[in-house]
Amino acid sequence: MSSAIAEREIALVDLVDRLLAGGVVIAGDITLSVADVDLVYVSLRALISSVSSAEEQGALPRMGDAL
Amino acid sequence: VIELYAIARHPGPTLPGLASLRAVPFDGLAVVCGPAVEAEEITEAALWRHEEIVEALMDDRDLLPVRYGTRVADEAEAARAFAAQRDQLRAALERVSGAVELSLRVRAQDPGSEPDLSSLRPLARDAIEQAGRDEGELRRCAYLVERGRVDAFRAAVAGLQQSHPDLGFLLTGPWPPYSFSGP
Repeated sequence: MSSAIAEREIALVDLVDRLLAGGVVIAGDITLSVADVDLVYVSLRALISSVSSAEEQGALPRMGDAL
Repeated sequence: VIELYAIARHPGPTLPGLASLRAVPFDGLAVVCGPAVEAEEITEAALWRHEEIVEALMDDRDLLPVRYGTRVADEAEAARAFAAQRDQLRAALERVSGAVELSLRVRAQDPGSEPDLSSLRPLARDAIEQAGRDEGELRRCAYLVERGRVDAFRAAVAGLQQSHPDLGFLLTGPWPPYSFSGP
């Protein structure tokens, strides 16, 4: 795994955390929010767990890899 | 249908020339939005595309990112959507002013490890330090760090990594202040 790809995958966990659970929210009744966020969140979580287990099994990514 | 990206002060610097961005003013603030990609599938690439737009905005202004997937019918609706919370938004914008978010996750092969992150707190304006969410993850944290202190923060984390070779410190960012945009 090239370090650029490793970085991107490590950052993906943080990206999903932020985009799907952070930020300013507005009252639901006028939001046409993207319909299947929950579903997609689940599939992204699956992707993320595979990244996490890679983090566990492979050499633990280090500072420097992740920046 | 338009997609909402961020709340910023109005007037602000010229918008970056991407995604047909427009600033819709309300009460001294503006919501930055653009045409929504209809029936967009939420893929990794779509999330990064959204993030890149917000990061381009963040380059030269303070902002509060809007949660991904927030869409309204038109610009009038966009302004109306936030008018009711303008005071909280203004206060939140002041709190994040001149700062960015850094993400830090600490992992370990030995779940009994206790990372001491106290040396990082003085470098941040605000912090959310939570327990890890999966096996092997000890902490999942977000720090609100002044732009001028990002390098010092990185160096401090590098120092922690050096003195704790048994742990993995995963630092990413700068991110828009997603974790510090609440009331």
